[in-house]
Amino acid sequence: MKKIHKGIVKTIKEAAKNTVYMSFEPENPMEIKPGQFISILCGGLTLRRPFSAADFDGKEIAILFRRKGKGTNYLSGLKPGSEIDFIGALGNGFDVVDKKSLIIGAGIGIAPVSYLKKKLDSGILVGAFMSKDEAPQGISFDEIITNDGSAGKKGSILDHLENLIDNYKPEIIYACGPAVVLRAVGEAAQRHGADSQLAMEKVMACGIGVCKGCVIKVKRGGEINNMTVCSDGPVFRGSEVLWE
Amino acid sequence: MITDLRGLTLKTPIISASGTYGYNNEFDVFCDVKNIGAVVTKAVTLAPRAGNDWQRIFEVPGGLINSIGLENVGIEKFLEEKLPVLKSENIEFIVNIAGSTLDEYLQLARICDKNSIKAIELNLSCPNVKSGCLEFGTDEDALYEVVSGVRQEFSGYLAAKLTPNVTSIEKIAAAAEKAGANAVSAINTVKALGLKLQYVNGEFKKEFVHGGLSGRTVKPVALSCVNRISKAVSIPVIGMGGIYCLDDVLEFFSVGAEAVQVGTANFTHPDICEKLANDLEEFMQKNGFTQLDELKCKLREEVI
Repeated sequence: MKKIHKGIVKTIKEAAKNTVYMSFEPENPMEIKPGQFISILCGGLTLRRPFSAADFDGKEIAILFRRKGKGTNYLSGLKPGSEIDFIGALGNGFDVVDKKSLIIGAGIGIAPVSYLKKKLDSGILVGAFMSKDEAPQGISFDEIITNDGSAGKKGSILDHLENLIDNYKPEIIYACGPAVVLRAVGEAAQRHGADSQLAMEKVMACGIGVCKGCVIKVKRGGEINNMTVCSDGPVFRGSEVLWE
Repeated sequence: MITDLRGLTLKTPIISASGTYGYNNEFDVFCDVKNIGAVVTKAVTLAPRAGNDWQRIFEVPGGLINSIGLENVGIEKFLEEKLPVLKSENIEFIVNIAGSTLDEYLQLARICDKNSIKAIELNLSCPNVKSGCLEFGTDEDALYEVVSGVRQEFSGYLAAKLTPNVTSIEKIAAAAEKAGANAVSAINTVKALGLKLQYVNGEFKKEFVHGGLSGRTVKPVALSCVNRISKAVSIPVIGMGGIYCLDDVLEFFSVGAEAVQVGTANFTHPDICEKLANDLEEFMQKNGFTQLDELKCKLREEVI
């Protein structure tokens, strides 16, 4: 089956401050794994906008996004019944392994890991936000961290990373969020002898690895190579990413 | 819709542009690549290139600026891994080659010739060390030297892809014709700077990309270039720049293009090449055009 689809918006609602939850049903059945993404045509914009699956029940795909620019503003104006044009499923998802897991979502990075949590038998889900009102509804967090202390522990995820690892002693950490958080998670995991799988983000054009617009440097087998976030990723092992 | 480019015959005049479509059948995940006129491969250089380090893509209203820096696998790996797929999948293709010196172009041309590659497109917008950091494509004499040199090494179909970042693209095109090119493709991307400022904590944060602009916004520039080139040369012109729909294709035909390439639109609508080929065929059938030339003649009745 070709990877270009039409879908019908089923639900669109505010999930948190300036954050939208949208679910849609593809016209043809398809699968999407945690960490994989779809890329949606947004009106007349040149580039599609990529979104990780925040949930998938076998029928409807859900995404979560911050209203941030032209693309997300366009999407947040859609209504139930609106048609969308999207490509996917794109990229490689998380490699779901049966290990003691810590799952970290920082900001809107909560989207793919909240779906991942549902696919793991166990695992501690940590959400990190600027404040309580940015935490999307409908997600069961095991721990919440807020910069302003309005919910859970006060501070940034970077302040609490070591404690979280000491407390939960994960064998693997899954994470999505800003690059600064992912880098810290990857490095902390390595220090503690844990694996890490990080869902990365970069502006992308083609979505299938051909235009080389979204490359990062990755070290594998002693060699440093460019890898595309869209197609080789978006999930990479923390130990192999060379940070900008 | 047999398209005769005088030395290269395609089943439709819709071609995918270099750098937007991969090396071979990658877009089969979205459409049937063998149904389009030809795939122009991602630019291939002599040695593999890692491309640029910094941010590579910058979206602007109506288009995007890219600064990929010719990341590619190099000619050796191309021949080993990418070419066999083009052949086994029966995809018509044109190999885009880029050198940073005259000698690199000549070596690439020789390798393509030796491997019986039917058609190449010269990317002539890369930094040229030999003529003092000018680009081959911006200097008539340097371009003539490269194209005529390649012509001697390569016996197949030779298209020269021209940059619009010059005063008179028609003069450059005439030099390509004189040097023995079978066709010119125009335009490559327009030199541009994408810049975004953010004032945070008393400081301006700058996000910027120096690169090439493409997409809908460059179409008027491209149409003007193709129009001027068509009047200056008698070899076929392959037009491109901001093609998103059938009307765009017809506009390029009307100013003299014999075939068109679709680039950035592949990112927006990844099945667009096949769709445009179908749309064109449908339009011709519906309106009683049996030959592509008949349609082109009609479009060119009034000279622009």
